[in-house]
Amino acid sequence: MKVTLAIAGRELKSRLNTSVGGVVLALFLFLAGFFWFLSLNNYVAQSQSLVMNPYAASMLTLGDYLILPWFSNCMFFVLLVAPALSMGSFTQEYQQHTLTLLLTSPVSTGQIVLGKYLGLMGFASLMLLGTLHVPATLYYVADPDFGYFFGGYLAMFALMSASLSLGLFVSASTQSQMVAFLATLVAGLSLYVLSWLNPDPAGWISQLALATHIEDLLSGALRLSDMAYFLGFTLVMLFGCQQKLEGLRWS
Amino acid sequence: MVDWGDSGVIQVEQLTKTYGTTTAIRDVSFQIGRGEIVGFLGPNGAGKSTTMRILAGAIGATSGEATIGGLDVVGKAREVKAMVGYLPEFPPLYADMTVRSYLTYAGQLKGAERPAQAADRILSRVGLSQVAHRLIDHLSLGFRQRVGIAQALVHSPKVLILDEPSRGLDPAQRVEIRALVKELAAGDVTVILSTHVLSEVEAICDRVLIIHEGQIVTKGRLDDLAGTQVSLTVAHPSDDLVNRLHKVEGVVAVQDREDGRYIISARSDIRPEVARAAIDAGLLELSGGMNLEAVYLEATAGT
Repeated sequence: MKVTLAIAGRELKSRLNTSVGGVVLALFLFLAGFFWFLSLNNYVAQSQSLVMNPYAASMLTLGDYLILPWFSNCMFFVLLVAPALSMGSFTQEYQQHTLTLLLTSPVSTGQIVLGKYLGLMGFASLMLLGTLHVPATLYYVADPDFGYFFGGYLAMFALMSASLSLGLFVSASTQSQMVAFLATLVAGLSLYVLSWLNPDPAGWISQLALATHIEDLLSGALRLSDMAYFLGFTLVMLFGCQQKLEGLRWS
Repeated sequence: MVDWGDSGVIQVEQLTKTYGTTTAIRDVSFQIGRGEIVGFLGPNGAGKSTTMRILAGAIGATSGEATIGGLDVVGKAREVKAMVGYLPEFPPLYADMTVRSYLTYAGQLKGAERPAQAADRILSRVGLSQVAHRLIDHLSLGFRQRVGIAQALVHSPKVLILDEPSRGLDPAQRVEIRALVKELAAGDVTVILSTHVLSEVEAICDRVLIIHEGQIVTKGRLDDLAGTQVSLTVAHPSDDLVNRLHKVEGVVAVQDREDGRYIISARSDIRPEVARAAIDAGLLELSGGMNLEAVYLEATAGT
């Protein structure tokens, strides 16, 4: 485990030390902050328009009309920044010939992939921590339902996990960072909106879509099937990535 | 169990590696004993790096077997990698790390007991202390190569595989690295190194392996293999003398340079035999010495 954590630490530090990591962090926090500002403005405007209608105003909950829309927007930011975070994970190792160092060390390919995944998730966690000012300020001025934030952050974390593992797999499959970024972005967005092809939520296409399970989490329903989906998705991608590395050894 | 017996710390049997329809190495076999320094020679693309990559565990062989310390490099990959230090053809360096943090990381990966202390130790041993806090991206080619050598040594390996260790080094740095390799071998570290600098092989290697078009074409102790190029001058040149010179065992070629001067190429030191053969022809001058180049060129003829 020590060596896995060493690889994770190297991956995390390389994101913190390089401009890509800084730009990704800044972009995500700016977009999340900006859309929080817009959501808040929208909510205040709606509240003011319903000031003469107490019944309708009571229906305008913080959870459904402020927190959920913000988290829904954030999901797209996650899909946008995750490819930028993961694109260099293996492509840079190929370009700098540093994969040889990993492959000739007493470390399994599974440990290499897991270490990189944990490093990226560490960076993703820092990004999510950077948005905690949103619940903090809302709790300071109001009393929102905790479940919305819990579900929202769980959904963001789950989507980060799925997107970054997908990005790691793509990064291991190409030598070009640009190709890795674009392929991960397109694949991530496509998988997210897959349910648009078939509106039946019980259909297998909908069940494959990321959005279906994200919406479940955002609604506050903590289902085993949703957790199994994200865990399974991540494991399949990491396994694929590990197989890619093994394939390099034997090609 | 690791076997550090004198016979074959590195044992390679019938190793073959193919990439699609291209055969990189074919039926390569050799043994290297404990504390030996073996020079691995051959033209570009001959299969040196492929063989070394297989030994280091970076790639797998298509067929054949390789063991280090009695352990199979594939079946016991983790144990083998822990005792092998490997400098690839292109040093695996992270440009965004400082030299010290990189070597500490390499130590962690390779299972060094105290990675930070191991990094400090190797920094001074390879002459990198003055650049320890500099980013690798800002280093010269020579320093980068030394960092590459340092990462191969950070976990105190028992076997060292160096693919062109002197690449990018200036003459003084080459001498330093040669001294370091000799010192390591004196401490029972087994070394296999590839190089295009034949004088380097003559300076530090005990044995030589020459690979050509994926196959080992010559191997043996340097003293036995290194050829001789002798310059002979006689007072009475004749065809009979040339015939006698050709009959001397080990002679590869005799060139008649006119006016009684001959250049004789041989696989071993044949000066005493040449002197005896030339005495009747009025020997005036005999000079020359060992010449690995002649052996190398003969072994790899046709490239």
